[in-house]
Amino acid sequence: MEEQSYLVTVAKDLEDLIPVFMSNRKKELDTLRVAFAAADFDQLRQLGHRMRGVGNSYGFAQVSEIGKHVEDGARSGDRSLLESAIAQYSDFLSKVQISYE
Amino acid sequence: MSEVVPAERLQPVQASFRVLVVDDDPDMAAFLARLLESEGMAAETVYSGDAAMVYVMATPPDLVLLDVMMPGTDGFEICERMKSDPATAMVPVVLVTALEDRQSRVRGIRAGADDFLSKPVHREELVARVKTLRRLHATRRELEARRLSAEVQRKEALRRTFSRYISPRIAERIMSDMEDEGAPFRQGAQRVSVVALFADLRGFTRLTESTRVDEVVDLLNEHFSVITEAAYRHDGTIFSMAGDSLLVGFNVPFPQPDATARAWGTARDMLSSFSRVHARWTASGGVPTGLGIGIATGEAILGNVGSPHYMSYTIIGDAVNIASRLVQGARPGEILVTGPVYESIRNMVPARTAKFQGDVSLRGKSGTTSVWAITL
Repeated sequence: MEEQSYLVTVAKDLEDLIPVFMSNRKKELDTLRVAFAAADFDQLRQLGHRMRGVGNSYGFAQVSEIGKHVEDGARSGDRSLLESAIAQYSDFLSKVQISYE
Repeated sequence: MSEVVPAERLQPVQASFRVLVVDDDPDMAAFLARLLESEGMAAETVYSGDAAMVYVMATPPDLVLLDVMMPGTDGFEICERMKSDPATAMVPVVLVTALEDRQSRVRGIRAGADDFLSKPVHREELVARVKTLRRLHATRRELEARRLSAEVQRKEALRRTFSRYISPRIAERIMSDMEDEGAPFRQGAQRVSVVALFADLRGFTRLTESTRVDEVVDLLNEHFSVITEAAYRHDGTIFSMAGDSLLVGFNVPFPQPDATARAWGTARDMLSSFSRVHARWTASGGVPTGLGIGIATGEAILGNVGSPHYMSYTIIGDAVNIASRLVQGARPGEILVTGPVYESIRNMVPARTAKFQGDVSLRGKSGTTSVWAITL
């Protein structure tokens, strides 16, 4: 996996919402893994769709981008795309650094 | 299960414009609420369609931001329900959909959505759309308030005008029937039990021959003023005012179990009020007249009589005919009533004031009618 860190800038007035937001993303990653193991493509599609919507809204473009890969992979049943997206998501969440302005 | 942003962080500020945010994703709901609050609006968040319906019905907000894709009741269904309920139809609804989801937008338009927002939501776009709808909403509300106010004023003016010519109770009934069914008194003629009271200025016809026209009108206006007030005090319905006589009905068009007592109270008040008027007439030159009253009870037909060009809502039948014959026989200051009427009011009438007149043959009637005369 890449050694890069991910820097995200979030609007200052959303700062107090971010701890809950990040906590939910980590739970989301766990749910993605469970759904992938169970080959539950419908749930994977829904999770991907949700990630797409919420990520960019908060300023986390990568969350939306990965969400799109998850949604596309779930629609087409592309397990390798899904596996790669979930790994990318895990990497992002472990390295992301957030600043506020 | 996603964590929900603690309520205190989403505590709505005191604002005049209330927005309900409906999204099953708590992060998205919190985000939208925060943007609205930063613009001085109050935002409430709910996370399911069912909760949204409960909230909207209990306290309709000023605007709803509604996610389309939710488990259970989805955004389209909520929008449709809101737009079909008069209590919430005016509340603007913004559907939040995926950017490329054209099908959802078409369905949203059909469901009555006022605007759309795409996910991911951009702050400037959200604020601009909500502010526009807020302005439209305020204008729409103001126009609606003006329209309602004008409608109320128009109806009140109509009711006041009507009430000068017909009994206020009938005026109310006509107005109500017009609102409900578009035409007054659509119900056909009905056979009803009535108490009919006729009041008449005795000897007034002769008086008109020797009095100036404008004076006659003034006298009649004063006369009718006091006797109609007496009728209205006892909830009587005035069916006709012709010449110097007045026909008042009780138990019509609305049931009055104590109709006979009301008629008696009306007759007593009419005589009492008229005596003061008469005393003034006498003091200012003398007018040789007095009020006579006839009361009868029985069946009558209640309905619209006339032609499409001139219609009278009235009562016709035996009770009315008998009351009319009685008033013609009443002396000034006298109330003539039929036996059944007297039996019904006997305990209210001082015994010394009532005198049985016998079974009398009335003009146009085949049998006889028992008649009592009451002089107060």
